[in-house]
Amino acid sequence: MKFGWLALLLAAPAFASPDLSSEALLRDHLWREVRQAPAGRRPKVGLVLSAGSLRGVAHVGVIQALENAGFPIDAVAGTSMGAVVGAMYASGLPLKKIFEWTSTINVGSGNDLSSARLISLLLFDKLLSSEKTEIMLRKGLGGIRFDQTLKPFACVAMDVYTGEAIIFRDGDVAKAVRASMNLPGIFRPLEYRHRFLVDGGVVNYIPVDAAKLLGAEWTLASVTETDYTTARPENVLESLLQVIDIRGSYLSQEQRRHADFLIEPPVGDIGMFEDHRINEAIEKGVITASARLEAAKESLILASVPKLADGWGVKTK
Amino acid sequence: MRIASLALLVLLASPARAWRLWGEASDKKIRPVQELHDARKPLEVLAALTPDFISTLRGTDLRQAYVLKGDSLDFLGRADEALGVYQLGVKLFPKNVDLLTRQGDLLHRTGLDEQARAFYARALVFEPRHFGAQLGLAEIDRRSGFLDRSASHYEIALETLDGRADVWRSYAETLLAQRDWTTAELAIARAIKIEPKNPEGHVLTAFARRAQGDGAGALTALDAALALGVGVGARRAKALWLVEADRHAEAVSEADAILKAFPGDGAALWVRARAHLARGRYADAAADLSALAPDSRHDFTARAARLLRARYPAR
Repeated sequence: MKFGWLALLLAAPAFASPDLSSEALLRDHLWREVRQAPAGRRPKVGLVLSAGSLRGVAHVGVIQALENAGFPIDAVAGTSMGAVVGAMYASGLPLKKIFEWTSTINVGSGNDLSSARLISLLLFDKLLSSEKTEIMLRKGLGGIRFDQTLKPFACVAMDVYTGEAIIFRDGDVAKAVRASMNLPGIFRPLEYRHRFLVDGGVVNYIPVDAAKLLGAEWTLASVTETDYTTARPENVLESLLQVIDIRGSYLSQEQRRHADFLIEPPVGDIGMFEDHRINEAIEKGVITASARLEAAKESLILASVPKLADGWGVKTK
Repeated sequence: MRIASLALLVLLASPARAWRLWGEASDKKIRPVQELHDARKPLEVLAALTPDFISTLRGTDLRQAYVLKGDSLDFLGRADEALGVYQLGVKLFPKNVDLLTRQGDLLHRTGLDEQARAFYARALVFEPRHFGAQLGLAEIDRRSGFLDRSASHYEIALETLDGRADVWRSYAETLLAQRDWTTAELAIARAIKIEPKNPEGHVLTAFARRAQGDGAGALTALDAALALGVGVGARRAKALWLVEADRHAEAVSEADAILKAFPGDGAALWVRARAHLARGRYADAAADLSALAPDSRHDFTARAARLLRARYPAR
């Protein structure tokens, strides 16, 4: 006997062919209406990508799952690592390229956070320049400006002298993204447009308001917060990041309430220097977003019904 | 001596599967039990596999006993007992791909996908193209959102399971999710060729055509499925898709047919309400939507109906 009958039987696909239940079919039908609705007949959808240092690469996985499902995304806003991923996506880079770019992130050497530079930071008590970060960003983004991105994009930094959250919506994208991820306490504030800018995660961890400034009427936020209850910082940099993360976490409580839908990949235990876990973070983004997709669709459909319905009775009026 | 050396050489040169099949075919004590299993008599299999009998088994016979006992328990719906048997089997025979795959299948079916993935992965270490492990991983990857990996696993599984229409259909669904329409239609065609009387292939064809914007072709495929006696689901889909094509009178006719058999069917009431709205009959639409959305219901359909009713109150 080559294979037992039961072996073949047990190896049955668990998926029933298309779900033809009333609820599933109605959802599918309305999802099609949402996707095909012309501008103005459904809410403008904003994708919000939180700060989160290396954990933020999970946003790439979230975007991949949303793209697979044909989720409409009309505007993108991000802070810190969310700004990096968001800028690449909004500028029209294929996901494969974004995936490749994020996979090559190397926190420990040849960049602004190399060991040699960190030692000089401690020895000479002088903040570092984040210039290499900008060079790295330009490799991915080129010299694209905000008005040239495929989807409207905004990112957030903080003016360290005034404490204001600065939302960038015009000018050079790479410079603004560099400002958005310019770690305070490590890097010199970036002087740009008469402001002295540091990482926006300090004041606007989940930039729902930035997406709304771009016209978003329904927002989906991908949130990659740290689980600071389990993290045990072992050096100056990790301690500083931990404090920023805790503060960001407190601030984000309010911002979470403003988002219409949340996707939270379980990446809280991934540390700043664990670049060997980048693929794991991206995979967790895909898995979490895939598991939440039907709920996200339902939420957007329900938000869209009033606008869609305006066209359903009009024809005979 | 020369014959022994030659036999050893042949064995070493054999592919893993050949070695496994050669090793597993039982011509010893387990054979009568295997025959009961092949005759689909799980209760008899369990009766035969007493602890005393199992204690007399060795090697291949013992491995096969765990497989047969677990399979029979699983077939009888005693999944937790089956899991215990497979777990013990895997502990005793950690390189047995059949036991590893079965444990993976059970875990996967109970939703423990990450644990299941580990067992499938171990099985593939010993037999890289094992159909059961490949199929399990295909499903897990599809559910997890890794559509390209899922398609690759299905393709390997189908090398062995190419006669299984349901696997071709599952593969096609992954391809549809990837928006690879051409390959999906080829896979569906294979499923229909294997099971021409099964309406599910036609239902999938309908979804594939609709996804490509061929509404008329989609409805034709649904009609083919309905002609083969598919359940009310295909009629629901037809009613909703007729609304999408602005063919409201036909949509209402389908909806009425559904409501006759299933009064209160959500999709059918929605279709009728939409048709009423299109004709300006707001009071009728509100009545259907109210039937769909009593205050006690909070599911998606009821919430959507309430929103629509609020937009078009009876005038």
